[in-house]
Amino acid sequence: MSANQKWVGQALERVEDPRLLTRGGHFIDDLTLPGAAHAAYLRSPHARARIRHIDFSRALQHPGVYAVITGEDVAQSTRPQRGRVPLANSPRVYAVAYEQVRYVGEPVVGIAAIDRATAEDAAELVHVEYEPLPAVVDPEQALEPDAPLVFEEIGSNILWHNTFPYGEVEAAFAHADLVVDERVTIHRYCSTPLETFGVMVQYEPAPHSFTIWGHTQQPAQDLHVVAAAFGVSPGQIRLIVPPMGGSFGNKVRPLFIIAAALLARKAGRPVKWIEDRRENLLALGHAADGIMEMSAAVKADGTVLAIKFRNIENEGAGIDFAGRHNLLMLSNIANCYRLQAISYEGYSVVTNRCPVVANRGIGKPFMCFAVERMMDAVARALNQDRAEIRFRNFIQPHEFPYDTPSGQTYDSGDYPEMLRKALALADYDSLRREQAQGRKEGRLLGIGIATAVEPGGSNLAYGMLISGPSQLLSGQGEAARVRLETDGTATVFTGGLDSGQGHATALAQIVADEIGLNVRQVRVATTFDSASHPYVMTSGVYSNKFHGHDTVAAIGAARKVREKLLRRAAAQLEANADDLELGDGRISVRGAPDKGVTIAQVASRAYWSLADEQPDGEPGLEALHYYSNPLAKRPDDKKRVRVQLGFASAAHVAVVEVDPETFEIKVLRYLVIHDCGRQINPGIVEGQVHGAVAHGIAAALFEEFVYDEDGQLLTTSFMDYLKPTAADLPAIEVDRLETPSPLTLLGTKGVGEGGAVVAPAAVASAVEDALAPLGIRIAALPIVPSRLWEVAAAGLKRYENARK
Amino acid sequence: MGLLQSYRDEAKVLAGGQSLVPLMNFRLAQPHNLIDLNGVEGLDTIEIDDRTLSLGAMVRQRDVEQSPLIAERLPILREAIEQVAHPAIRNRGTVGGSLVHADPAAELPLLSIALDATFHVRSARVSRSVAANDFYQGYLLTDIAPDELLVAVDFHLPPADSGWCCTEIARRHGDFAIVAAAVLLGCGRDRRIDFARVALGGVGPAPLRMIAAEQALLGERADAELFRRAGDVAAQAVDPPADIHASASYRRHLTGVLVRRALATAASRVKGQA
Amino acid sequence: MAETISIALKVNGSELAAAVEPRRSLVDFLRHDLGLVGTHVGCEHGVCGACTVMLDGRTVRSCLLFAAQADGADVTTIEGIGTDEALHPLQQAFQKHHALQCGFCTPGMILAALELLRDNPDPTEEEIRVGLGGNLCMCTGYVNIVRAVRAAVSNGNSR
Repeated sequence: MSANQKWVGQALERVEDPRLLTRGGHFIDDLTLPGAAHAAYLRSPHARARIRHIDFSRALQHPGVYAVITGEDVAQSTRPQRGRVPLANSPRVYAVAYEQVRYVGEPVVGIAAIDRATAEDAAELVHVEYEPLPAVVDPEQALEPDAPLVFEEIGSNILWHNTFPYGEVEAAFAHADLVVDERVTIHRYCSTPLETFGVMVQYEPAPHSFTIWGHTQQPAQDLHVVAAAFGVSPGQIRLIVPPMGGSFGNKVRPLFIIAAALLARKAGRPVKWIEDRRENLLALGHAADGIMEMSAAVKADGTVLAIKFRNIENEGAGIDFAGRHNLLMLSNIANCYRLQAISYEGYSVVTNRCPVVANRGIGKPFMCFAVERMMDAVARALNQDRAEIRFRNFIQPHEFPYDTPSGQTYDSGDYPEMLRKALALADYDSLRREQAQGRKEGRLLGIGIATAVEPGGSNLAYGMLISGPSQLLSGQGEAARVRLETDGTATVFTGGLDSGQGHATALAQIVADEIGLNVRQVRVATTFDSASHPYVMTSGVYSNKFHGHDTVAAIGAARKVREKLLRRAAAQLEANADDLELGDGRISVRGAPDKGVTIAQVASRAYWSLADEQPDGEPGLEALHYYSNPLAKRPDDKKRVRVQLGFASAAHVAVVEVDPETFEIKVLRYLVIHDCGRQINPGIVEGQVHGAVAHGIAAALFEEFVYDEDGQLLTTSFMDYLKPTAADLPAIEVDRLETPSPLTLLGTKGVGEGGAVVAPAAVASAVEDALAPLGIRIAALPIVPSRLWEVAAAGLKRYENARK
Repeated sequence: MGLLQSYRDEAKVLAGGQSLVPLMNFRLAQPHNLIDLNGVEGLDTIEIDDRTLSLGAMVRQRDVEQSPLIAERLPILREAIEQVAHPAIRNRGTVGGSLVHADPAAELPLLSIALDATFHVRSARVSRSVAANDFYQGYLLTDIAPDELLVAVDFHLPPADSGWCCTEIARRHGDFAIVAAAVLLGCGRDRRIDFARVALGGVGPAPLRMIAAEQALLGERADAELFRRAGDVAAQAVDPPADIHASASYRRHLTGVLVRRALATAASRVKGQA
Repeated sequence: MAETISIALKVNGSELAAAVEPRRSLVDFLRHDLGLVGTHVGCEHGVCGACTVMLDGRTVRSCLLFAAQADGADVTTIEGIGTDEALHPLQQAFQKHHALQCGFCTPGMILAALELLRDNPDPTEEEIRVGLGGNLCMCTGYVNIVRAVRAAVSNGNSR
């Protein structure tokens, strides 16, 4: 705990806001370099085809064009990528299509020109001769033996397949009174940050170095991917990541950086590429679609003993996520429940669709949808209330820390209280009465319930279960440096990134408490720069890691600075460091407040007065700290690994009305009880919950990437890909429960993904509840009025995905 | 006119730009020249007499929305325009632009069919008038020639005490309709319907007048059963398209529902009825 | 070099003249020719609202206007709303109520909210949601934005 507790816990206004409110921020497209060229890409119109010939001579001759690259250039000049977490048989992927195209929208030719419009004009002059090939679009079809192969070199469309049995699964089924089966599917969608992907690269031929301004969520890893691609030292790459207009897991695409870098090298001038919205929807990345089959062993009293899962995950034509969604889903799949045994079989299958990215929740929205649908199915099978089923199966407060069958440890939580509070906030009994009354009047009101855990940080050693034990990347951690300036203010540099989460404010609050400053005296550098920011390979913004890693690294550095400060002050005041008090920018002797000195005075002398004796052994007041989470270890010899490093939780209640004639769905109310332990800034936390829930409701009811059977994406603009507006969403109500984590320094847990993970399940539960008079079960997302009506009109009882 | 005549197929007219410029940004439309009507005088008047509301082609949708005159004299137009997209789009979007773009799910073309509007078209060669039914010829296809300009449209006012309703089903507020219905009803002293207009958008390549449904209404007493029947007649008469948002059968189903609901609302707005 | 069109306009109260390519969009002109990077590009087809500016007192999609069309016009961008020293009351309300996260939609959202409040000084929550329905936000879920606009009303702002 810090000496002061003045700032952490307050819902302070954000330090990021004034600039964003008045001039906009320093987003990538706001930056430029003299003489910079602009890139555009010609993209594949086919889902699968051989590239026979590319004639770009007319494009190259077009006035204002500086350079053109094709797959040949990329293959000659860069090493191929074999996936973020490579498999033994990973195929090779290049920054633009080489020899074959594998999805509609894949970049085929890159052009750098004097401006974007000219580059696009030139793209129209390129002639590409394709030999179209049959494409495989549906993941179950991709499993069939005669399916077209997305990557012929690996001889199969199964990138990864594994089975994980935990506990006595067969014994549980032998003891079951009832077995409940369910099959659910989820579609492709994506958080689509409002700012699209951007990158600008400057290449210096001597000393063969690249300066990159660009988007990423894992700067150290992407820097190394780019260095490896060009065969240069990581020290020859400087990566600068400006604040991003949202990222949500989408902005990890080093291939885009490699392409721009190659264009810059070829053009002999800086090259800037700003993705347009059509490219963004076609080719940045989608959340994976999938199919989950489940079988639950259940006792007559509603206790769920065990669940078997079989998951088919559609990676699209991407190789970066093989196995990863599957393993992360598996790590959370016990959800809030006391299961004795779990069996999980997972596939990562490739198809000729856009590659998958770690969209907000990375697989857990589907996991939660599946598990929560199963809980509702169990309730229905036993004719029990859905809330009661959950209360019966919850892990109880006294059972923490709780080890799940798959080897995760839940740190703390109070799931029964969380759900009770949610139902009370919703006035559940009153809603039920309203629903009953409504049914008499022909109205279809529905109340949905979903509860879930939300992990806070991932141990990247889980990749070893995919790649093998020789994988270097493991653990989770962050790095930070705190510098006390000569005027007694502080500057903080971390390996973390800013894409709207208010990290600079949260870190300022934390550091201010540690060093006894006013929060306005702490500035946090929000543009990451590999030349001046410390980092470790896990640095970045993803998987809810900030609360327990960036914070701890900053605290570590701040405490080192604090110690140096106190030693200097002690020398100056001729007192013992232990007798000093620190706060409000001042250091004084305990009990003698007049005997003191300001932080600014001490700091100033530390830098200026080198000729004076150095109590610390060295001048300056700056410290670096690297934090590695001690819980994040390698897998053991039984392949158990602690993947998630702490667990927040939430209970959601959704109230919907379905129009009995048109089957339009309106979300009337949406409530969340959210437990992320100690909150650094409740205003920021609440905003994150709102935004995440909005993503989840959007996924359930509005957003869908629709592919036809030839692999053409039909939803390539915001006119067809439906983002809900303020008029389409309810006012989301949030209240909190706070069970601090015993595992993190501040008692925090993760926040950021949760609402996006849970809301699809809550909405589905609500719609199914509304349709109870019709007996229609919701087993697929999204829930589209037209398709729901088709089910009802045909007298069918399941809203599910017909095999496409 | 002269410019249009000289450039013909190599030029497009720029009015509000809210339909054309997105197409240009996508490079789906690549006109060599744009003839900008913004600032051309005399195309943005709003005039009304006993029988006709005449709107210049360049009248902004937002001005229609905020016109007290239109709110009073042709409220169905106001109701329709409030459902067009969002304020910033309506600030630039024009009446003429929407009518000529001819999206079958758009509200203004629907109203022009419901009210049997008259389109005034001019070129350097000739001035002519076209009835709405003849103006819309197919999907995004109108009667207008490459060198012609829509300069004004006359909406014929329905009987003064008639009821009205323009309503639609859409995935989101402001989207193009999946199905839209524009309905007007007038009742005589004997409470029998003596004026009926039923028009639908989104159920065919162009907005459609539902003559059979209108016939089913005329002379009958307004009640829920009549409206349901009229809805069924309309649903039988359409052959709707399918797309990613809605199937053909769903659109057919919505037709019946929407016509019935719109008639009920229109009936409740008929003046002087209990 | 392509032909250019000469324009003279007012931007945030200052008169200026420029020569623009016919196909130069207003948003690109504002951002890259004038350096007013507060207005953002989110979709280039008029749906997201990130490019919203005021033209002759009305909100417009600057991605759907050509710079040449702004000849003679009076344009206001986010840079013309409030100053670093004195935020507009609406901007203050946004900050107080955590109505922004990444900030990319914020300039467009503020301009849309200003027009909403000018035309409807005391909107209900429903009217605020419909009035801002032309501006997408991917971060906030709109809850705090609506709160901020309501709060600005209570503080007697509408300009």
